Amino acid sequence: MYKHRNSQGSGSFSWVFQRVTGLILVVVMIGHYILMHYTPESGHTYDAVLARMQSNWYRVLDLTFVVLAMYHGLNGVWGIFRDYKLKSWQTITIMSLLIIIGLAFTLWGIKTILDIPYVQTSN
Amino acid sequence: MAEFKKFDQRNWVKTNLSYKKDTGSWAWILHRITGIALLGYLFMHIYSLSPLSQGKEAFDTFIAAYTTPFFMALEWFLFAFVLFHSLNGVRIVLVDWADGAKYHKALYRYSIVIGVVMFLAMGYVMFSHEIHKLFK
Repeated sequence: MYKHRNSQGSGSFSWVFQRVTGLILVVVMIGHYILMHYTPESGHTYDAVLARMQSNWYRVLDLTFVVLAMYHGLNGVWGIFRDYKLKSWQTITIMSLLIIIGLAFTLWGIKTILDIPYVQTSN
Repeated sequence: MAEFKKFDQRNWVKTNLSYKKDTGSWAWILHRITGIALLGYLFMHIYSLSPLSQGKEAFDTFIAAYTTPFFMALEWFLFAFVLFHSLNGVRIVLVDWADGAKYHKALYRYSIVIGVVMFLAMGYVMFSHEIHKLFK
């Protein structure tokens, strides 16, 4: 995939990964939209969320979705900043802010998903 | 391509706007705008779904605000952002990995057509229940 050895280790991994995550997100994102709006209840009631979250596959899908979307978004913003000549203190500040905000919100999302209880169903 | 304008750091908005834009530059600038907006929405989304931890009553009262037609319309327009970013993202991947530089302008036009169709289809999915209610 890399034409020259030199091009490795200079952000080329994140370049490839941005495309890979992007392609995954296209599918998951449009699926998410259809599922959440298929009926007025499916995306906007606690019961519908609770019912879906009984499946661990669904939990894993949602956790992956949060992590990939957050990575893709923050890496995209970082890509915008890389278009400008930044001084090293600016690079460090922006990078740290992106990582801290990203980690905080990702963990918040993960916590929200994992907090949803498993309930015994009658059938 | 004939003339090259020196980039003026102090008036970069004006300088950017003064460039003549073809499909590629529109795609580039809209990809950025939609991308930033979608990341902003993701932050809001994580915040607005956090009442899930507080149980059924808290969540259902909180989420009720988002089921009004006004918010549904906003969510529909958000899908336009999703579609642009998705389809143009696919276009970027094709340009990078499938010799798309040779047909990127055609791809841009196809993206717009496919995007409009998918936008209207999603409008039907989202609002069909409301429309059915009107004629009951």
